[in-house]
Amino acid sequence: MSESDQSLRDRLAAWERDTLAQKLAARPERKSEFTTQAMHWPVNRLYTPLDLEAVGFDYLRDVGFPGEFPYTRGSEPNGYRSDLWTMMQVSGFGTGDEWAKRGRYMLEQGLTGLFLEYDLPTTNGYDSDHPLAAGEVGRAGIALDSLDDMEALLDLPFEKLQRLTSICNGPQTVNLAMILCALEKRGIDPGSFTLQIPNAILIEYTCVGRYLFPPDHGLRVATDALEYCIKNHPNWIPISVVSAQLYAAHANPVQELAFSFAIAKEYLDAALARGIPIDTLAPYFSFITGIDMDFFEAVGKLRAYRKIWARIMRDEYGTDRPESQRLRLTASPGTMSLTLQQPLNNIARLGIQMLACAVAQGGYAMNTPLHDEAHALPTEEAIAVGAAIHNIVAHESGVADTVDPLAGSYYVETMTRKLEDAVFAELDKIAAMGGALHAIKTGYFQKELARQQYERVRAIEDGSRKLVGVNHSVRDEGKRSIAIHKHDPAVEQRQVERLRRLRAGRDGAAVQKSLDRLRDAARSGENLVPPCIEAVRSYATHGEMCDALRDVFGSYTPDASAMGI
Amino acid sequence: MSRRIRVLLAKLGLDAHTIGVNVIAQALRDAGMEVIYSGLKQTPEMVARTAIQEDVDVVGMSSLSNAHMVHFPKVVALLREQAADDKLVIGGGVIPEEDQQTLLDAGIARVFTMGTPTREIIAYIERWAADRANAGDARAERARE
Repeated sequence: MSESDQSLRDRLAAWERDTLAQKLAARPERKSEFTTQAMHWPVNRLYTPLDLEAVGFDYLRDVGFPGEFPYTRGSEPNGYRSDLWTMMQVSGFGTGDEWAKRGRYMLEQGLTGLFLEYDLPTTNGYDSDHPLAAGEVGRAGIALDSLDDMEALLDLPFEKLQRLTSICNGPQTVNLAMILCALEKRGIDPGSFTLQIPNAILIEYTCVGRYLFPPDHGLRVATDALEYCIKNHPNWIPISVVSAQLYAAHANPVQELAFSFAIAKEYLDAALARGIPIDTLAPYFSFITGIDMDFFEAVGKLRAYRKIWARIMRDEYGTDRPESQRLRLTASPGTMSLTLQQPLNNIARLGIQMLACAVAQGGYAMNTPLHDEAHALPTEEAIAVGAAIHNIVAHESGVADTVDPLAGSYYVETMTRKLEDAVFAELDKIAAMGGALHAIKTGYFQKELARQQYERVRAIEDGSRKLVGVNHSVRDEGKRSIAIHKHDPAVEQRQVERLRRLRAGRDGAAVQKSLDRLRDAARSGENLVPPCIEAVRSYATHGEMCDALRDVFGSYTPDASAMGI
Repeated sequence: MSRRIRVLLAKLGLDAHTIGVNVIAQALRDAGMEVIYSGLKQTPEMVARTAIQEDVDVVGMSSLSNAHMVHFPKVVALLREQAADDKLVIGGGVIPEEDQQTLLDAGIARVFTMGTPTREIIAYIERWAADRANAGDARAERARE
């Protein structure tokens, strides 16, 4: 310990004795214990250089400079001073042409990226007239049965669109083939915008549940889509680890990062096994995270996220290439912190979370959920407010004008370091179990999440976690104070009729031939994207293609032990 | 002493939001009940079959997407068809106000919407079980007389 540390220690003790004690005698603290929201780590009254000393903090080693190893201060050398983040919002409902109207509206509001969310029949690989689809067609997302639907929904002003994200993790090669064929029919150059396919099948097995095949086959389908894009569409983002879904399942930051990196290693290893070199592969990986309400846990998480990836790339995959070490991150203020009660309060929550994203270099793109999201799909007013939240943080708060301004904060650096150490410890534990695929099959991830979910609910119910409008500062609102998006109940019927017309008007023999060819490819192990493209061109439906793959791969029902409860 | 209350928790259709069912399963177990979880993608037929095979007292169905109006009433109807309508059938999740009466009319005993405290659900089930036990005792007494 240096002389200045000793003198600081003495001064701190003196402050506690002479200044603080008096205050505490007059006004005891509000709580017997202050802790962080998700990790329940103790929060000290005060952080000083002594805390950095205690964790052996070293500026160049732990923080460095933006755009350089270890990337703690940001993946971009100039933060948001050159380019702001891409401002995105999630949207999807109805039929393809109905959704396209909404997509055009969102682009007119100044958004530059769109998310496509498909309905549950689509993401689970069933056509709209399948018995399991009843009640769900066009509800939680867009109904997609054939190339016709994809063509209709991509009727967008592509000149205004920088990025399109298409979320269909289970049958990813089928979805990708539909997009490629629709772009071709519309005469749009695939190189003119960035397509992001999360391709995040292992997260589906962990907590989202939209899977079709057993995990090993699911990983193969994802790797086929990844490999195809790397070889044919090098400007696209063909794999994302959607840690936001883990956060949405109430993973704490350590679980979110550790499970996500463990999952990323499975994707990396599967692609490396196909002979794609690490420095070709790694730059394609992107991550999507969710931001919760504890501002400093959020800031620490974003900074640790980049640093851990850089260290994994350097130390475990042996690459020194900046393109491989640099994390590509999209951050999203968290839907799980939004409350059903007093929905307008959510605008304040979203503002705080956007601020954390911007101040800690949350990413290249960020999307806001909307304040009415806990109720139903967003209204047009909510979309406009969501866009305003981005712009207020970007242009009024000043946080986007300097890079990583909280670096050096005794608390923030302590938090960042503590998260980093805890994530590496959890990663070691997962590795000892045999990796993420094994942890999924045995239900380790699922059980950990279920436990977290129950603990969170208990904390809200016993009042130890305060939620304004829920268990604190509740005001009687009488009737709902916001407008709610109304679902059109006739969508299902319209979509089913559209599908039946399509089936009646196509060349049935050509469809069967293309589906046979798809089954052969599934058996032989060749890349599934080209046969999927052929099947899409023959107007085979989404569900028929998924069924062809199920014929070969089987369906997946997890064992009771892997369900988490 | 009567046996522990046996509960089947079920997810029907394609809805895969599991946080609610995960939380309720743990809360009911902590309250001393026995919980059987169906897993995802169940049809009404599968749920009714499991409820009868496992001889449960309570069937709790969770829905956070949109198909509760399609699936919930079918489960009640199937249980009635198989003379198993002595079971308490309840539902929970994101159930719009305008759907709730229809579900009650179809024979769902109670709908718990999102944010209902777990202790309220536990108390409801325990009260139902106590009432049923009392009714059973009264029947037994009448039979003796």
